[in-house]
Amino acid sequence: MDNITSRHDPRFEVTMYKYMGVENSHKLDFYEQHGGYQTAKKALTTMQSVDIVNEVKASGLRGRGGAGFPMGVKWSFMPPVDGRQRFIVCNADESEPGSTKDRFVLEDDPHQLIEGMIIAGYAIQATLGVIYIRGEYHLGYTRLYDAINEARAKGYLGKNVLASNFDFDLILHRGAGAYICGEESALMNSFEGYRANPRLKPPFPAQAGVYGFPTSVNNVTSIASGVHIIAKGADWFKSMGTQDSSGFHHVQISGPAVRRGVYEVPMGITYREIIFDLAGGVTEPVKAFIPGGSSCPMFPFTDEYLDLTMEYGVVAKAGSMMGTGGIILIPEDKCIVDALANVVHFYAHESCGKCTPCREGVSTWLPKMYAKLLAGLGESGDLELLEDVSHNIRGRSFCPLADACIMPVQASIKHFRHEYEYIIEHGKSMYAKKSRWQE
Amino acid sequence: MKVKVNGIELELAPGTSAIDAVFAAGSDVPYFCSHEYMSPVGSCRMCLAKIGAPRKDRATGNWVLDEETGEPQIFWFPNPMATCTTAIMEGMVIETEAEEAVKAQRGMVEMTLINHPLDCPICDKGGACELQDRAYEYGEGISRFEFDKRHQEKHHQLSELITLDRERCIHCKRCIRFFEEVPGDEVLDFIERGGHTYIATVEEGLESNFTGNITDLCPVGALLDRTSRFKGRNWEYEHTITSSLDDASGSAIVLDSRTGRLERIKAELNTQVNKLWIDDSTRFGYEYVNSSERIKTPLIRKGDNLEAASWQEVSEFIADKLAKLAQKEAAIVLRADSTLEEGYAAKNLAKILETGQIDHYPRQLASVIPNNSASLNDLASSDAIFVIGDVSQNVPIVDLRIKDALKGVAPPEMFEHGVPIADLRLKERMIRKKEILTVAAPYNVDLMRHAGQAHIYEANSEEAIFKALTKIANGEDSSVAAMSNEQAEALVKRLNEANNAIIIYDGFSLASPAAAIAARNFANAVGAKEIILGQMANSYGLEAIQVLPSHERYGYAEIMQGSAKALIISELNPANNSQYAQNLKELELLVVHSIFENETTALADVVLPAKSGYEKQGTIVNLEGRLLEVNAAPIDAGQAQDFEFLAASIIAALGKEGKEDLASLAHKAIRKQFGVDSKKLDPEGDLKPLKPRANNKAKLHIQSTNIGNALIVPTMLRLEYIDKNPHLLAERGAAKLTMNSIDADANGLKNAEIVSLDVAGIKRSFSVQIKDSVPAGLWLIPALPEQAIGLLELDRASLKKELEPA
Ligand SMILES: Cc1cc2nc3c(=O)[nH]c(=O)nc-3n(C[C@H](O)[C@H](O)[C@H](O)COP(=O)(O)O)c2cc1C
Ligand code: SF4
Ligand code: SF4
Ligand code: FES
Repeated sequence: MDNITSRHDPRFEVTMYKYMGVENSHKLDFYEQHGGYQTAKKALTTMQSVDIVNEVKASGLRGRGGAGFPMGVKWSFMPPVDGRQRFIVCNADESEPGSTKDRFVLEDDPHQLIEGMIIAGYAIQATLGVIYIRGEYHLGYTRLYDAINEARAKGYLGKNVLASNFDFDLILHRGAGAYICGEESALMNSFEGYRANPRLKPPFPAQAGVYGFPTSVNNVTSIASGVHIIAKGADWFKSMGTQDSSGFHHVQISGPAVRRGVYEVPMGITYREIIFDLAGGVTEPVKAFIPGGSSCPMFPFTDEYLDLTMEYGVVAKAGSMMGTGGIILIPEDKCIVDALANVVHFYAHESCGKCTPCREGVSTWLPKMYAKLLAGLGESGDLELLEDVSHNIRGRSFCPLADACIMPVQASIKHFRHEYEYIIEHGKSMYAKKSRWQE
Repeated sequence: MKVKVNGIELELAPGTSAIDAVFAAGSDVPYFCSHEYMSPVGSCRMCLAKIGAPRKDRATGNWVLDEETGEPQIFWFPNPMATCTTAIMEGMVIETEAEEAVKAQRGMVEMTLINHPLDCPICDKGGACELQDRAYEYGEGISRFEFDKRHQEKHHQLSELITLDRERCIHCKRCIRFFEEVPGDEVLDFIERGGHTYIATVEEGLESNFTGNITDLCPVGALLDRTSRFKGRNWEYEHTITSSLDDASGSAIVLDSRTGRLERIKAELNTQVNKLWIDDSTRFGYEYVNSSERIKTPLIRKGDNLEAASWQEVSEFIADKLAKLAQKEAAIVLRADSTLEEGYAAKNLAKILETGQIDHYPRQLASVIPNNSASLNDLASSDAIFVIGDVSQNVPIVDLRIKDALKGVAPPEMFEHGVPIADLRLKERMIRKKEILTVAAPYNVDLMRHAGQAHIYEANSEEAIFKALTKIANGEDSSVAAMSNEQAEALVKRLNEANNAIIIYDGFSLASPAAAIAARNFANAVGAKEIILGQMANSYGLEAIQVLPSHERYGYAEIMQGSAKALIISELNPANNSQYAQNLKELELLVVHSIFENETTALADVVLPAKSGYEKQGTIVNLEGRLLEVNAAPIDAGQAQDFEFLAASIIAALGKEGKEDLASLAHKAIRKQFGVDSKKLDPEGDLKPLKPRANNKAKLHIQSTNIGNALIVPTMLRLEYIDKNPHLLAERGAAKLTMNSIDADANGLKNAEIVSLDVAGIKRSFSVQIKDSVPAGLWLIPALPEQAIGLLELDRASLKKELEPA
């Protein structure tokens, strides 16, 4: 990521990302000087937990981890308090290729996340919070680690937080390098020390989460959004975005854009605005873009799709997903088969191995098919076979990881079938260009 | 709830899984990961079907109706659903034969097979393989996968008993789930991920008493029983369903035999007893029957030698000798795993010989018949269990059924297709209700790991413990050995308040009649049912039909000390005791019915070849009071016969044949005593618990003492055969002498050192095992059939080192 430029976008006042990249923004002093922990204080000392849940519900905030489930509604699924331990879990495993929005919060503004966790914990009456952070996020880990200690020393964590009679503490847990640990139930298994396989649902985390106790799992920027919703109110949040998708989101642009980076934007903005206005356009011809991280089906780089507004419903209707908001641009002269081989390789490597279609289809068969095509050994029938096997995998797996691989594959065939046909017919790809990492 | 499966409407209980609905409707759907009595996990994705359900309008609460038909509209799930993890809903429609379901199933078979080596021609599972069958039924017949298959280790020895072929594994996770869910021993897991995933142990070996079950439940030939590896093809085996004589549970097993040899034992379903599980001794402890050392013909003494003879010849010889004896001079002793029929035969023979010197052994002073008996299914749904003793070694299945109770899920209702395939009440890693289980024993026993409360008490304090607990139950003050007052009170309270409290005790309590009475009184005081763990398969039955001495002068120990002039003894080796050997030499007639030669056959006048428990036909009564059928597999055992044949031959030679043969006498006697037709027993047995007799004349026992420095402890292994069970021996090692490190140091002993020791007259060899969980000063010695459980005074000076550990 070269720059973060959204702070300079005049149309929009940045909140969560306000202090990204500012020196010492990760320190408690800095955070306190800029109003830090005042919202937690307000929440814990002047609001009932149910008020917070209702405020978040009213804001319409949808989960930023990918699935887009409304956070307030998820919180309201927590069973009544019955004396058992309850957990709030922050999913900071951010591993979806093309996604990097959580990283900046973790590295540059960890106290904001801690404050969000205190509020979230209070909202669902969980006295323990878990932040499960991706193993590779070393800087984020050390900063968060230090920040938690700072917060604890200052009484923001521990017994009687902010003199409110509410006890709350945080456990920081590092992953060990598996994408599947971002799936909430695999995350909980991993946290408990088990193999990171997704669990059967139901029961959902609210019924039986960490160690079987009531739990809510929420993404980093979902949790951090809570701070601003409580600080400024649901109406303020809803003043941004649309009916379907309220508030702001963080789009992350990678690929041949002039200004690659993370942008805090109001929902409802068009992809054209993001790519051309914020990111400054493209540096070379682009043929497709992925709207929300590698698992989301790609769109051709045409007016029809560029003018879509960034809303959960709109993107879904157009055949893809909002995902994490990680926009990936695919250059014109990048062989689509090669590009997808890369995507498939990722999911093949990350399959947890629990279920047959993913372990055998995604993790074993697909990479071999792509390797065959790229080696110039494609034969007639291979494309149809790829389509049929993809069909046999899609919608049959235990968790969405297999679909996360299949949907991009299917989209690539749908939009760029001729590239597949070319490579099969000619034994080489339509475009000679190799990926930068391949050179 | 009403559901419709492939057009058939049926009414099922809420909570039923869609896969059970499919089978209940008489339809079929393939499945690999689901398994009876284990949690559904939905990982194989094989059981896919097209599923839909009607919906209620949120506002009105009425069904949303189809505009054309006026019927509730069916809303189909967008994708085929795994039926095993889907609970039925009112009005659900399940279609396993819809085009998209069939396509999904085919696709899944193809993917399941892409990494499978398809080496069926050399696979022990071939012909009895779920993958083979399902691929044949639901697959396309050809594979479109043209690449190299995954190569992994093909002969990974998980233990001496089990080999894992990692290429054949289809990752259904049944084996892993089994260990976690059933015995609670987490010894297996997947390692690596994605296409590289394979099964492995965390540490070397499989630390569990139930490992063999994974060879049954593996849907492919990935987990194989090493005792039977490459011994035969499945279609060549004769399958004989029978009850195991390995312990007092009478677990259902299948004997797979071929060309006169027993080649494998598998678990058979008995929903009342062992469900689908058996312990490793029951499964792997059979190899001795194929031993070339078996006695195959009757033998008769000619000078110093035993020479082969016919049954006719030796029967006449025996009859001649017996005819010369006066009343009460002959003695008959059966082993406690003999069948009821053998027991009646012995009684009839004793009657003809006019002797009351008849007994079965091993047997203890107190009765093994509970006053208020609990069944094993009662146990599985119990809400308060107090165990005193070592269940896991005595009767391992009882250990498993206790673990059922800890899950708090009662035994499932049966379907017409049998046990639910996917019982949605079961989950992976269920939180166990440990608090309902209290375990006390004189040393650290395995079940303590699973207990809410565990107490190690000083050996031989069973009576005191039960008495003290009874006082507390009666509202008096008392203190209980090894328990705090709060613990004791909490235990009594829990048992008192439970709906289904159960007390389980074993030989440690039976060794003293007073302790057994105290146990019974305590059970009464808290309103608990009892389970008593007899030492052998038919301990209950032989006591019930009174294969017992007519007077306390005539018990096993007295017979061995010279109370008789002639002895007919079946499958016991009393001459391993040097003192008894002296007495046996004095006998005018010693007839030994035995499978193998031993110290006792060496003294015999006549040796008769005995049938093993896999070759007999008959009936036993398990510890619940359940009559179970024992069936004979076609095993070549020469002229071996059971005790009924032996008795009949002698009676015939005595010229005392009655109107009826022994078999019909036994048949009648069983009907009279238990009220069942032993020829028409239910396949799961007939539960006919009796009451203990008020006046049990059989009271003799010489080994048990009130003080002692060693404890004969139960062992799940049949040590008398272990030398001829090579695989089990390799896995489990020689008999262990277990002691605290203080004792080991005092005697200069190291772990695994081989020693010999005189155990109350029997010279035995052991491998030393040092465990600090054993109280200092107490040595633990696993029981032999000739040595009932209990405390004894050991001459520690007789200890000799035989071999340093490697
Ligand atoms: C394969 C897979 C990977 C996922 N990875 C992440 C992740 O890295 N971070 C995340 O927040 N959510 C991830 N999710 C989504 C989570 O399961 C869960 O929906 C989310 O954490 C809920 O938080 P939210 O409601 O705030 O979005 C993943 C889901 C799947 C199926
Ligand atoms: S789709 Fe199946 S194998 Fe893949 S990650 Fe999910 S559960 Fe694991
Ligand atoms: S070894 Fe057998 S039981 Fe275990 S996961 Fe593999 S196929 Fe299933
Ligand atoms: S997914 Fe394996 S049986 Fe249903």
